[in-house]
Amino acid sequence: MENELFMNAGVSHASEMTSLSSSTSPAMLNWASMETHQVEQSITRDVPRDCFYFEKSTEQSIFGSAPSSHVSSSPTPLNSNFSGGGGAGENYVIRELVGNLGYVGDIYGAPPASIGNSSGSCYATPMMSSPPLDAFSGDSRFAERAARFSCLGNRSFNGRGAETVPINGELTRVSSTSALKPPPAANRPVNLPGKEKLNPRSVLIPQLPHLLIYQRKLKRRKIRIRREVETQKKMERKRNHLIHTKILSMSGLDEAKPPIVTVSPNESVRREKISERMKLLQDLVPGCNKVTGKALMLDEIINYVQSLQRQVEFLSMKLSSVNTRLDFNMDALMSKDIFPSSNNQQVLRLESSSDILLADHHCHTLQLNPNDSSNNIMNPMETSESRSFNSQLPTLAHFTDSISQFSTFPGDDLHSIIHMGFAQNHISESNQVHSTSFQGPSNQVPSHMKAEL
Amino acid sequence: MASADKPINTDVPEKDVFALHFLQSLSNLRRQNTFNSPEKTNDRVKKIKKAAYVSMARAAGGTSRLWSRALLRRAAKETNKVVRFSRRKKRVTWLRRRSNRRDPVEEEEKEAERLRNLVPGGGAMETSKLIEETAYYIKCLSMQVKVMQCLVDGLSPK
Repeated sequence: MENELFMNAGVSHASEMTSLSSSTSPAMLNWASMETHQVEQSITRDVPRDCFYFEKSTEQSIFGSAPSSHVSSSPTPLNSNFSGGGGAGENYVIRELVGNLGYVGDIYGAPPASIGNSSGSCYATPMMSSPPLDAFSGDSRFAERAARFSCLGNRSFNGRGAETVPINGELTRVSSTSALKPPPAANRPVNLPGKEKLNPRSVLIPQLPHLLIYQRKLKRRKIRIRREVETQKKMERKRNHLIHTKILSMSGLDEAKPPIVTVSPNESVRREKISERMKLLQDLVPGCNKVTGKALMLDEIINYVQSLQRQVEFLSMKLSSVNTRLDFNMDALMSKDIFPSSNNQQVLRLESSSDILLADHHCHTLQLNPNDSSNNIMNPMETSESRSFNSQLPTLAHFTDSISQFSTFPGDDLHSIIHMGFAQNHISESNQVHSTSFQGPSNQVPSHMKAEL
Repeated sequence: MASADKPINTDVPEKDVFALHFLQSLSNLRRQNTFNSPEKTNDRVKKIKKAAYVSMARAAGGTSRLWSRALLRRAAKETNKVVRFSRRKKRVTWLRRRSNRRDPVEEEEKEAERLRNLVPGGGAMETSKLIEETAYYIKCLSMQVKVMQCLVDGLSPK
């Protein structure tokens, strides 16, 4: 949580970025790399030289070491970006990028400052790494931006690649998920006919992810601004209403109150309860430690709940778009996606490795290299084992995957998870066959883990 | 009376429970024939959202929490299902709603009003209970968000 706050402090303004401390700057850099990597993925991989310089200068300026001098030595886009000057189209885009890094890095709930949020709460919605979403309509500005962005992307930020220094587990995950996605199949069929006009997919295939990212960001900002306005209006209306009701109630008779658990004479008790629970909430809601006083805290809490609800809505929108395209493969889902919470570095390794992995190899490697983010040790082992596994039934791959995923967890979780995973497989019969056949090795895995632990 | 309070329990079940419920609901949704039609995006989104909330309510302990009950009731209303909750609670909540309508005079009650609008089933709760429910709700919501985020990350093309 502190990391998130830290990042929040860092990301709030693009102008502040030059003064970031070095501890947050790698974080920023990771976000930058992630965002830029998204840009890169969709675009052809020819890398002109100046992109590299751009990256270098980005690093330097972010690390805040004599920013002005370095910035001056860097190519102009960066300069204008950080000095806030308008410039060519790509400068504008870069500034947007950098300014929105907070959103980008927000995938895992890190709260950047929301630009449109007047109350200054720290919560924003998650931004996806690179999924092309067609569900949003955009303005003509987006097409314009897309064009700019495309020319930016052509001289863009390759070279970060998949090597990301794990600064903290969260960011590693962020960069890993983006870095490891291969270039999206930009030729994927679009299923939303209503969006043909605004959908540049047929015309400018490479920009689509960025276009959508911008669309999403702006749309979220709009939604947020609208909601702020709405809530303020609501508050106004409520206050007026309350004044009326107060007048009425004072004039009217006070009916005998029905028996409630806490009787009104025990005001102090009630207040104590309330304050006690507020303390509970304070721990839950990030950023509430500084704020004292019930009203402000309640404001924060309300904003947080609203942002969470918006996140749910947003993610459901995203899910709906993603769902149409892909096969909803339950066992794959259960294995890969749901449980990367325990150890992010291990997940990095797991996700980056090939599909077919042996569970016990995972155990070995995990014991050996708990903090190693490279995949070197695993890969040679993988390939040999994968060949042998390949000779077996192909769907077993899913289960090896699931088991390898599960092996990152302590042993007692494994049984429940595996059983759950297998319980999900009533969809296809063949899976059931494989599941039974696989019970043997799966049972071995937890014992393996336990022995080594 | 303050000393007689039992410790407030806001433990939320593990992430896998949420994941399980959500995936089940999603697979149910998927089995519907109309689900994958690309034209009705908004419908699909709404359905998924509703599925998310309902699965979250179920994962968080079904009817053991006021907000989850209210969520489920709301969802059931839309599908015209009959949802049975213990009637005694219903009466109490109705009375409480009446008393709460008269309350919001103080500053904190105004804030509590806003919170009540946000948290499902909030209108029927007293302020202290509301705050407790909010804490639990926030926890569940964040779990749900994490689960969905993981899902989306996993499903989005690699």
